[in-house]
Amino acid sequence: MTTSPAIETSGLAIHFKTASGLVRAVDGIDLTVARGAFHGIVGESGCGKTTLARAIVGLQTATAGSVRILGRDRTTWQRDDRKEFARTVQFIFQDPLGSMSRRQTVGQTLEEPLQIHRLGSATERRKKVSELLDLVAIPSTVLDRLPRSLSGGQRQRVSIARALALNPQILVCDEPLSALDVSVRAQIVNLFARLQAQLGLTIVIVAHDLAIVREVCSAVTVMYLGKTAEEGVSKPLFADPAHPYTQALLSAVPSPDPRIEASRSRILLEGDPPSPLNPPTGCRFSTRCPVAVVQCRTAEPALRLVPHTGQAACHLADSGTHPVL
Amino acid sequence: MTTPVYAVENLIIDLYTPTVSVRAVDGASFEIHPGETLAIVGESGSGKTVMTLGPLGLLPEGVAIDMRGTARADGRDLVAMSQSELSAMRGGEFGVIFQDPMSALNPMLKIGPQLAEQARRHAGLSAADARKEAVSLLARTGIPDPADRYDRYPHELSGGMLQRAMIALALAAKPRVLIADEPTTALDATVQAQILALIRQIQKEDGIAVVLITHDIGAVSVLADRVIVLYAGQIAEEGSAIDVLTRPVHPYTKGLLASVPDFRSEISSGTREIPGLPPNQTKVEPGCRFAERCSIAQPSCLARRPTLLPVGDGSVLHRAACPVVLNAQGVAHQ
Amino acid sequence: MKLGRLPWAILSPAITFVLIGIFAPLLMTHDTAQQDYGALLQGPSASHWLGTDYLGRDMWSRIIGGARTSLVAMVFVLAAALVIGVVIGSLAGYIGGITEMALISVIDIMLALPSLVIALALMGVFSGENFTWMSDYWKMILALTLAWWANYARMSRAVVVSELQQPYIEAARVMGASHIWIFVRHILPHVLGLVVVYASADAGALVLAIATLSFLGLGVAPPVPEWGQMLVDGMSYIEEYPSLVIIPGLALTAVVVSFNLLGEAFALQKVPKAIRGSLLRRKKAERAAEDEARRRVEAGA
Repeated sequence: MTTSPAIETSGLAIHFKTASGLVRAVDGIDLTVARGAFHGIVGESGCGKTTLARAIVGLQTATAGSVRILGRDRTTWQRDDRKEFARTVQFIFQDPLGSMSRRQTVGQTLEEPLQIHRLGSATERRKKVSELLDLVAIPSTVLDRLPRSLSGGQRQRVSIARALALNPQILVCDEPLSALDVSVRAQIVNLFARLQAQLGLTIVIVAHDLAIVREVCSAVTVMYLGKTAEEGVSKPLFADPAHPYTQALLSAVPSPDPRIEASRSRILLEGDPPSPLNPPTGCRFSTRCPVAVVQCRTAEPALRLVPHTGQAACHLADSGTHPVL
Repeated sequence: MTTPVYAVENLIIDLYTPTVSVRAVDGASFEIHPGETLAIVGESGSGKTVMTLGPLGLLPEGVAIDMRGTARADGRDLVAMSQSELSAMRGGEFGVIFQDPMSALNPMLKIGPQLAEQARRHAGLSAADARKEAVSLLARTGIPDPADRYDRYPHELSGGMLQRAMIALALAAKPRVLIADEPTTALDATVQAQILALIRQIQKEDGIAVVLITHDIGAVSVLADRVIVLYAGQIAEEGSAIDVLTRPVHPYTKGLLASVPDFRSEISSGTREIPGLPPNQTKVEPGCRFAERCSIAQPSCLARRPTLLPVGDGSVLHRAACPVVLNAQGVAHQ
Repeated sequence: MKLGRLPWAILSPAITFVLIGIFAPLLMTHDTAQQDYGALLQGPSASHWLGTDYLGRDMWSRIIGGARTSLVAMVFVLAAALVIGVVIGSLAGYIGGITEMALISVIDIMLALPSLVIALALMGVFSGENFTWMSDYWKMILALTLAWWANYARMSRAVVVSELQQPYIEAARVMGASHIWIFVRHILPHVLGLVVVYASADAGALVLAIATLSFLGLGVAPPVPEWGQMLVDGMSYIEEYPSLVIIPGLALTAVVVSFNLLGEAFALQKVPKAIRGSLLRRKKAERAAEDEARRRVEAGA
């Protein structure tokens, strides 16, 4: 089945039992990531974006719903052939240092996936490791160093190289940029873009830096409190966001140009995002939404077609119009 | 011009641990005047926090610090002060807010009494007045229902509210300088915007000086009047926010700004990157520290440390430490 | 934990003990069991460096032989206790749930009682008729092992639980690693790293326990040279020939102290040290020299 999307979740829900109650981290997400897409998932902390990403690779068990990878059910695939699944989907962690054993050198770290999958002889594996280093543009002099002696950018490059060791088709990245400095962030973003083009990867990237998502992602999903608020093709969506939350989120990002900053009016939302322990009824954004009407507090909006040709979950938006804050 | 509330000249700070010696600040000077917001911009390890908080005695323990140069606050020499004098002076003159609110707030004590205590100690208020002051500080920093929040413990507040409570705490002693060290880094975009707006409002109302230490160009663009760009412990460029952010001169400033995409501009700039990595600053070396990553570097760049010189765009404040660019622009200098 | 930074002064007493134990046959001048009724209770001489005991046996050779006996018994007990402790602790930590709760309860009960008391109780049990097939020596080894493993199990479990929470374990899982791979490649080295270090510091207490059991007549049987046994034998002559008690007593004290020093040094290594004194002065001087060199280069430019 070559037509099935790279990733497809339907009705995916992930709830955690905690001492203070049931946390609905992800609460019914239908996500479709096309093959070859560079898909961004954005939202604020607590919106469930990281949990969603982890569920795609099976680091989190679904409470309800399903995840299909290349048309195959994630759960059964991973149960039947854990290794084949690992060779198809790989994951990049937010903290590259934590995701590597502090006892292993860079060389050992990069060789480990090849050893787990019994790929090649020792010589072939060493050759593959040096190819991986070339791919992510780090000098082979780092091979014998421990991860903690590398800079933040180099660590993230090593962790990307490790994920690519098994030649996966899909790469899921959880906030791969947030631990990095601004100028290094650009290096890593460009690396992702290059790898995607070079290797034909499907990349899902969880991020909170909206400008970078617009810059590199072909598609984007905006999450709010465990739900999809809006999704679509990234450039048109960012140009004409339909959901009031997306509008506020974009407005909150300051421009690096102080002249624009001085002239533009900013939408300031009241308060913090509500807790996923106790999400509001109706539209989850209704408690902070400046244009909410009675219906928003009682009925939960479904995703519907909006002007930028994507979808938004807002009662006030439809294919012809959307609210403007 | 007014006398600066905080001024540092030719500051050199070496940090020593058993394994490494780091030249964190290498001959930097800056001053801040009442009523202005100065942003100190740099990447991690550039020395921005050490440069600002070091002279105030606010560096992490466990490292040996060797400080040279002059640092004055309100006309008094900070380098010569003992830790106890520093801490007495700091409490009244400087309010500091950090990335993590829990580094400033005591988790075992209720929010309100912590504020009241600070107000009593530094503003000399009576217990009753201090309580009133604490409630009004909570209200001022935008905490809803301040009388109720007065009796809450820090863990009962959300992240954004804690950030506000920490700002209230920093303001309780009526400081003349508010230093904000990465105040928004850990916050979500919508909360970030709220906190930046709050800092700006306080600055306008009280006319205090604000020093914003950050790597977030967006926050600089929202708040700052003046900007200092720090690279490897040395100042690369300084000037008004508009000059530095829209007409950068130093190749590092240009590179840094180019690596920050702006999604409001219609044309996709493409995220450009600065090749290479910042130096680790464990050695003191001659020449421009950026030279090894710089696309326009010349042999002379490695021989001599560049000095900050006026860019010559009509603004006396706009200065850059790059003789290559300045020469090309025909700016006379010796 | 790095051994490399430990001063040799702290390591060397313990190493000396181990070396004496290993090379004991070369160091002994006499057969330890050889009795010489012509030379009873003699003082030090050229042929008997530390004199002889009440049966005319050479004290020097018996002390050296005693070191070997202690070392061998200690290695048996430590190795067995380590294996049992690591296996049980790791299982508890890795499996979790009810298994973990049950194993922790057992470990806690063991740790609530002093190891020596447990060992004595077990020796009591082993003296029963069902255990006559075992020699007293192996009974002692078994009793001490069963009394000693719980601490290692507790530590192993703690390390396993804390390592399992590290993101790099998830990373290995994402790479398709099996539980066995994750345990052997990533968790076990951390467990062993801590437990072996602790065991080396614990060795002193074990040597003392072996001597204690022998002193009480429960462990090593004569004529095998053993320090605890030598103490008992010497007790009868303590008035006239105190050296018979003092010599094995000193040997025992030296070993216990040297291993405790080792443990102390390991514990202190974890405390980060601030830089000061001559090292700081040297670093500042290096820095000043760099500054001077820079001034010269820039003046020349």
